[in-house]
Amino acid sequence: MTKKEETRKKKRDKLIALHTSHKTYEFLNPLEKRLKYKGKYVDIKLHEDPDGFSYIVWKNKKYMLDVIEKNQNRYTIMINGIWHSFSVETPVSLKRKKFLEMQGESASKATVTAPMPGKIIEVLVEIGSEVKEGEPVIILEAMKMQNEITSHASGVVQNIAVAKHDTVMKDDLMIEIKKT
Amino acid sequence: MKIKSLLIANRGEIAIRIIRTARRMKIRTYAVKTSKEPGAWYLEEADEVIDFSEPVNDIPEFLDIERIVAAAREHGIYAIHPGYGFLAENPEFALRCEEEKIIFIGPSPEAIHKMGNKTVAKELARSHNVPLLEGSEGDVKDLEDARQVAQQIGYPIILKASAGGGGRGMRVVEKEKDLERMFNLASNEADKAFNNRSLFIEKFIREPRHIEFQILADKHGNIVHLGERECSIQRKHQKLIEESPSPVFTPELRRRMGAAAIRIARSVNYYSAGTVEFLLDEKMNFYFIEMNTRIQVEHPVTEMVTGIDLVEQMIRIAEGEKLPFSQKNIRIKGCAVEFRINAEDVQSGFSPSLGTIERISWPESEYVRVDTGVRDGSVITPYYDSLIAKLIIYGETREKALHEASLAIRKFWIKGTRTTLAFCRAVLQNSNFRKGNFNTSFLSKELKIHYQAEPDEMLLAAFFAVYDFARDIKEQEETTIDPGKSKNITPWLLNKRLR
Repeated sequence: MTKKEETRKKKRDKLIALHTSHKTYEFLNPLEKRLKYKGKYVDIKLHEDPDGFSYIVWKNKKYMLDVIEKNQNRYTIMINGIWHSFSVETPVSLKRKKFLEMQGESASKATVTAPMPGKIIEVLVEIGSEVKEGEPVIILEAMKMQNEITSHASGVVQNIAVAKHDTVMKDDLMIEIKKT
Repeated sequence: MKIKSLLIANRGEIAIRIIRTARRMKIRTYAVKTSKEPGAWYLEEADEVIDFSEPVNDIPEFLDIERIVAAAREHGIYAIHPGYGFLAENPEFALRCEEEKIIFIGPSPEAIHKMGNKTVAKELARSHNVPLLEGSEGDVKDLEDARQVAQQIGYPIILKASAGGGGRGMRVVEKEKDLERMFNLASNEADKAFNNRSLFIEKFIREPRHIEFQILADKHGNIVHLGERECSIQRKHQKLIEESPSPVFTPELRRRMGAAAIRIARSVNYYSAGTVEFLLDEKMNFYFIEMNTRIQVEHPVTEMVTGIDLVEQMIRIAEGEKLPFSQKNIRIKGCAVEFRINAEDVQSGFSPSLGTIERISWPESEYVRVDTGVRDGSVITPYYDSLIAKLIIYGETREKALHEASLAIRKFWIKGTRTTLAFCRAVLQNSNFRKGNFNTSFLSKELKIHYQAEPDEMLLAAFFAVYDFARDIKEQEETTIDPGKSKNITPWLLNKRLR
């Protein structure tokens, strides 16, 4: 292998996990089960059992791990009872993603989606209503409880995609708000 | 009369809990199978299964009084234990059992009826010298009536379903302008949950502790209390962590509140196990809220510190036996804490997380008791509550119990659904919780983050994602013929990049 090829291969084998918080974690040759930690390479002790629990032994503690969602390069990993969502990127795709994000206009629209499957008991706003962040906009019944769903942005209601008595699935769009 | 067979009109962990004790007492157990959970574990634990899979009407199986009573008669079953929820506090059910000469394992229909009606219960408390909260005289008629009562007693107030319990149909109103919306919410929820829209109003005490007393009473007029349970760690009035004894209690307060709880029980000639609930304010003033005429979800903490099997006592009382102990024999020893592990996503506002429990395991030790209705392969359905398991930890002291709890939660592994385990960890790390310095506003005011991640967890999770991804690509590369080796790019990888 020429030097050039070698660098290219290295580049190819470098993968980056981009967390939803925009934090990034770089790994060179992840299949070698090593990671750089505080400037040093540390071997990862990964125990996998597809029918049981998978865990990593890290600093003498076991961390239970599970891939709970996987869609192409998007991953949600459960570790020790807490989930984290990542997209797995190559150096090139990460660059491209960042570029596209900068191009995209800063979102002026906010959406309220169903946090859980359930039934719409009441829509508390109308198209054109002004809402404040934290204000309840919908009452959704799930697991025998009525839950107030609040807006996470202030603005004007632009679209209402659901009506009273509708059944919604998790992540269904319910309300669109034009941010002010 | 000796009970030789028992129908459990319930499911999940409490059905199994009751079966365990019944089996020890050599009582034959019958469980009810529904189409919603045909493979549930509790069915295997019972000696016999009565099949309710074929619908005969649209009443949910565990609420169908006539069907349950008829099944018990048909199989010649001596007694019915209702567990908690469902028909446990339905006086008509207790009455129908009585009429059909089936022993109902619980109090008399009259006691259930009186305590189930919050207005009557309050009147009883008042006349028996038990302090209670100001509020409406009985149910409020309508929104206007509610407005007037609220003005009289002053905001904040709390709206409660008259037929309620378990936190449903309950809303706090801080200001008059919120009253209408909250009134509608509460009455709709009450209608849905209890088929009864009636609400009553109470003065809302800010940041109280929620304390309840476990009562045991026989049919011969003997009543004892088994100490208190501290149930202040709640979210939207749903208990999440309970312990006994309460870290703020003195023997003197226990004696006073215990005596009040016994007065309440005596006022309705109570027998069986029951729970008297109070609010306790900062100055250690207590106020009666309600009496639950059934076994509670959190009963194990009391069992752990008293050594008394409450289900066994309920059965013996139903058989007509006298209590085998008096108040002075009852000792509270050590400390027990219960963590409710629910199938809820703490990171998305405790929203329900349905799915299959692929694997579940926990550390076994002398300090750990786990009451659960699930095992590997069990399904969390939307039909019932989200409780996966109750993790109960015992310690000689509260500090030891909490220490053991931290260890046990670290090793309590569940694969397949999101759970409240990370929430339990977060509470355990909180210094005010550890000091016993908390009240019912703990979640909203004190606990800023509802889940606790350890350092490096995100790094390890990131590694696992990247590792899994890289492995997928490698497998893909090995199975596809690469047409242009020099390009160093597979259509697979390209496809991923384009997303």
